[in-house]
Amino acid sequence: MHKVDVTAFPNAQGQTLYGTLHHPAETNADLPVVVLLSPGVKMRVGPGRLYVPLTQMLNDAGYRVLRFDFHGLGDAGGELQETQLADVYNHIEVGRYVGDTQTALQWLRQHLGCERFILGGLCGGAITALLTAQREPQVEALLSLGMTVTLASNAATPAKYLTRAQLDSRRQGYYKRLLQPKSWLRLLTFQSEYGVIWRSMKRLVIKEPPPAVQSPATIEQRGNANPLFPSAYFAFLQRGGKALMLFSEKDRLQSEYEEKFVAAHQQQLLPYQAQIHQHIVKDANHVLSFTPWQQEMVRVCQDWLGTLPARPLNRSDA
Amino acid sequence: MIHHLLHGCPTLQRLPPVIETPFFFSREQTRLFGFLHLPEQSGTLPGLVLSHPFAEEKLWSHRVMISLARALAAQGYPVLRFDYMGAGDSDGTAPDTSLDTHLSDLKAAIAEFSRRVPTLSAIGLIGLRLGASFAALIAEQAAADEQLAALRHAPLILWEPVLDGEGYFQELLRSNLSTQLAVYGKVVENREALTARILGGEPVNVDGYDIGKALLESCGTPTLVNTAAKQHQGPTLVMQIAASKAQKDREDLAALAASYSQGTCQRAAEQPFWREIKPFYARAEQLQSLTLQWLKEQHAGAEAGPATQQESAHA
Repeated sequence: MHKVDVTAFPNAQGQTLYGTLHHPAETNADLPVVVLLSPGVKMRVGPGRLYVPLTQMLNDAGYRVLRFDFHGLGDAGGELQETQLADVYNHIEVGRYVGDTQTALQWLRQHLGCERFILGGLCGGAITALLTAQREPQVEALLSLGMTVTLASNAATPAKYLTRAQLDSRRQGYYKRLLQPKSWLRLLTFQSEYGVIWRSMKRLVIKEPPPAVQSPATIEQRGNANPLFPSAYFAFLQRGGKALMLFSEKDRLQSEYEEKFVAAHQQQLLPYQAQIHQHIVKDANHVLSFTPWQQEMVRVCQDWLGTLPARPLNRSDA
Repeated sequence: MIHHLLHGCPTLQRLPPVIETPFFFSREQTRLFGFLHLPEQSGTLPGLVLSHPFAEEKLWSHRVMISLARALAAQGYPVLRFDYMGAGDSDGTAPDTSLDTHLSDLKAAIAEFSRRVPTLSAIGLIGLRLGASFAALIAEQAAADEQLAALRHAPLILWEPVLDGEGYFQELLRSNLSTQLAVYGKVVENREALTARILGGEPVNVDGYDIGKALLESCGTPTLVNTAAKQHQGPTLVMQIAASKAQKDREDLAALAASYSQGTCQRAAEQPFWREIKPFYARAEQLQSLTLQWLKEQHAGAEAGPATQQESAHA
């Protein structure tokens, strides 16, 4: 059983952030400290306690791990004023919790004397990790699970921003429901999403370029892209940061990343291919809920950690 | 120990500060996470242990339970929250758990509460969903267990308790089917097959939590909590949570309330905040307000004496 300490530290607003600091059996002070950031409105263990097996693996590999709650969530002090989940998500995506994360890093510097960090997290935790890494040069690596490159505030009109992969998936769903009377009732009583049906079917008629030469998403499809993501990502890569970009195959975040970011920045990404390790967990959903998916995620993270430099990066090389 | 000032909360900011202390404690070899919310001034009010719901319901309802704990502490009630084995920051995983482990965890939490706040003479329980079922079950053990004597005349508050454990676990398995549909486009294994798999000793995953045989066999029974006459002597509030007036009053919850000598059934208009819903639920305003009001009435009744208390029962 690994040693765990409870932690509490105030953020810049004086709100108390509670967490747990997990120690390996034998601490390797040369290794960075890993900070796992909470996704969405979930508390510090992550959905389905996803961060628990991840923390266990990190401890086994000699890493110290901090998990803590952002203000207004989990056990933390403070109150959020939003009344809708999508609005909370949106504020996270534009950096609401960067300050709390910087506070956590400062606390770790003061209490553990560490100067090297890996930030990780799922979804909202991943974008918070990146936006913090942009401001914190001591963040050497990014353990991203399901990075979100869009803004949830557009959740009010999600159909408008569906990716090609999402449209194809919707069309398959329509085929399956062709023989269901309820579906026809919805169609004939004006309850269906006619725009989505049309756009998904249109793709059968109007041929698009094959994937090898696929063009970036259209302006409309990229309309909900998070404008903060590309600059933060390139700033991080430019200074030598390493990124594990793990996605779930059946998660819209994967196709959004490909279509709304990668396709639009292929040339810019070329010099950084060696720094980015991308992995897609087959069949998995957004929160990697089934055990084999979680196990694969943990295994990929472990392998990726093994590729990171044991000693601090030489800044002049970056 | 942290003095918490409830920053930025429009409804609570005028309330007195609460002292908060997170910690780990043990139940045999298992490390459990606990969190104390104490009023600055100790008084005569009973302590309250919060019993969280199962699996992902715990995470979705987490902030509602925190808000309740802070509101209670601000009103003078010492409060302990804790994570059951296999949940939150506690050790273990869901397949390690059963009805026995949950009740043992709850009993250990009550003992830890008494140890940390030795002035407590009475300890009440507030549970949500399956956590409410565990609270109801441990309260019944109190009559014969001296270690649980502090529960005997203390308040028992059951928010939307699960009475039919079999139905509850079948609902959980539906979530597995939904995941199958979403990722495979079809149901590869139906509920009967999933149930058979669990009973055969192979856990089945629901929203990231593996449901094991011991848990299903011990909690997945049609009468997990029955409506036969109860031994618990303290005031008991059974709360139905219904989002709209169109939802009928639940007869089973009324029958459960009637099975207690001082049972009351009430209804709160709240969304099912233990699931993913579109609103962000930081606090269940009406549910919390009705609960605090009911607790206040019980305390006033107890202060006034047994006769008045008897008259206010079944109000």
